[in-house]
Amino acid sequence: MSEAVTASPSSAGENPRHGRRRFLLQLERFALLIAWLLIIAVFGFIAPETFLTWPNFSTIFGSQAVLVILTLGLIIPLTAGDIDLSIAQVLTLSSMVIAVLNVGHGWPIGAAIAAAIAVGLLTGLLNAFFTLYFRIHSLIVTLGTGTFLHGVTLWISSSRTIGGIDWGLVNATILTRFLGIPLAFYYALALALLLLYVFEFTSLGRKALFVGRGREVARLSGIPVTRMRLICFLASGVFASIAGVLYAGTSGSADPNSGTQLMLPAFAAAYLGATTISPGRFNPLGSMIAVYLLVTGITGLSILGIDTFVQDLFYGGALVIAVALSQLVRGREESLT
Amino acid sequence: MKTKYLAGLAGFAIVFSMAAPAAALDMEAIKASIAEHQKLPTFTPPGEPFDAKSCMAGKKAMVVPFSSAVEFTGGVATRMTEIAKEIGFQYDHYQTQGQPSQWIQGINQAITQRYDLVDVLMSDPRVLAPQAMQADQAGLKIVAAHASGFDTPAPAPFQNVHIDYTQAGRLMAQWAILKTEGRANVLAIVAEDSFSANSLQNGIKEVMAECEECKVQYLNVPVTDWATRMQSTVQSALLRDPSINYILPIYDGMAQFVVPAVELTQSADRVKIATFNGSPYVLQLVQQGEVEMDIGESIDWVAHAIVDAEMRMLCGLPPVKDPKVPLYIFDASNAHTAGTPPQISTGYGDAYLSGYRKLWGLQ
Repeated sequence: MSEAVTASPSSAGENPRHGRRRFLLQLERFALLIAWLLIIAVFGFIAPETFLTWPNFSTIFGSQAVLVILTLGLIIPLTAGDIDLSIAQVLTLSSMVIAVLNVGHGWPIGAAIAAAIAVGLLTGLLNAFFTLYFRIHSLIVTLGTGTFLHGVTLWISSSRTIGGIDWGLVNATILTRFLGIPLAFYYALALALLLLYVFEFTSLGRKALFVGRGREVARLSGIPVTRMRLICFLASGVFASIAGVLYAGTSGSADPNSGTQLMLPAFAAAYLGATTISPGRFNPLGSMIAVYLLVTGITGLSILGIDTFVQDLFYGGALVIAVALSQLVRGREESLT
Repeated sequence: MKTKYLAGLAGFAIVFSMAAPAAALDMEAIKASIAEHQKLPTFTPPGEPFDAKSCMAGKKAMVVPFSSAVEFTGGVATRMTEIAKEIGFQYDHYQTQGQPSQWIQGINQAITQRYDLVDVLMSDPRVLAPQAMQADQAGLKIVAAHASGFDTPAPAPFQNVHIDYTQAGRLMAQWAILKTEGRANVLAIVAEDSFSANSLQNGIKEVMAECEECKVQYLNVPVTDWATRMQSTVQSALLRDPSINYILPIYDGMAQFVVPAVELTQSADRVKIATFNGSPYVLQLVQQGEVEMDIGESIDWVAHAIVDAEMRMLCGLPPVKDPKVPLYIFDASNAHTAGTPPQISTGYGDAYLSGYRKLWGLQ
């Protein structure tokens, strides 16, 4: 819908006022990217010998794949107008399932990964069932299932961190590199491009967007709203479990608590990402840029030796600014329509 | 220069380096200290023998752990109740999930049900000071076990069962100095929101101050930020100073975030990790060579030591100044003794089992 709005000014290219508006729209699309480059420039100027190095950037790219994939998983239901608060718990449970099955029960790592993905799929199904069949708001349902999953995680792990996951997974996640960057980055990039393709070039993606923008309008237009929301919940669960697989592969272990702390950063990145590339819409590339903007800022602050609480200021501030900017975009769209 | 200026302007700089001036480095003493903690622990009585069964008859105690779902606090609490049962008195484990409201509820329940002692087994008991005052006024003994080192006791009315955290800090620093032959460039990762961190940090500072050619930086990452901040912060520190050769995470729960940081910055060849706690999954990392050393303390031994100290409080015996819980160094040479895969309280020997039972008059 927003594409229809943003397309209209460009069709009247001859009018200077429209030309300026078009420029501003383009500027808005790439504002976050520009902000990212500015952050790189500022830290690069302050600490060129440390910050402007390939090891630094390869580390930045390689270490945030889990957060990128979790954020991608989050924006799928958000696009369809649902919210998934269980996503970080799915990540945690998936990584724990791998640890328990691989270390505790001697399953081959491939089978353990398949089981972890199945956990994500089942959780998506559970979320969809309660949200769609009982017509309970997704926020409440996923809050409940997330808490339930945390209980399951503690139960199957006996509340312990389990180490010793097959080193092949660690190799395939962070130890093997291409162009100096761990493979985890390329997995995240591939998933982002896949999601971009689905959102932008398939009817499935367009329908999800329509459902998110107005369920009744979508229903009256003949879009199978319930099915679309179900698919989005399932996809969200699968993405979260893939993030869980990489989370386990990053440290070769799984603990029952720490993954849940990725919830706020994922939301911050999702909302921040919605202000760029396709402003006003949750979009994969925007989310990826947002994750790397946030982590670039944090890395720069760390390199300067700034206290870690400043990182919270940075994350929290970015979230508020993102929501404010999204609101601004929405306001502009409404005024244009 | 620019960096220093900006950091100073913001007033946020916390990472600091100390090229310590100082006393001469006694490598032989360091070697002896490390060797002493590599020997299989023996039992040293923390006080005089007493008849635990008769003096504890009719008394009851409650433990309110930080979280029953956390391996260490939950595990110690559970073992304490089992040990008490064996002795013959009531010791209840108030199940919690890390929520302050549950801790308060537990203490209130101990007060209203007229328990004799309540133990808050958590990293920072100071958050329960008002409830501790209430318990004290109601005549209960309120204990903060395992929370503090000898140099930073929990404030009154809490009674302490100290652990020698300062010594653990010393051992980590001594290990780094010994292995680098006096040229350690250390990144010590602390969590200042944890009460025992002060003592651990004091131990590291004390030893590093004696090493003229050593450097140490302290990086504070609060416990709640470990999952989201630890890895990126450590990565940045390694990139900022490529001469760092040792990372000392003061708790081994940090290791799961530090190991990937070392791998991602391709620093594994030059940077070693030495830490404290002896969690089974970190001992597995020691077995795999990802972590070089982990100072362990046995959960079961700790539980015995706490029960012993608390029984003495309730029986009117002289208080335990040092519960004599051993710190045992695990490295590549002995990590297998913890089991494959490593198990809780395994590898420390069993000298304490008969030692405590004789001390309590059960054998």
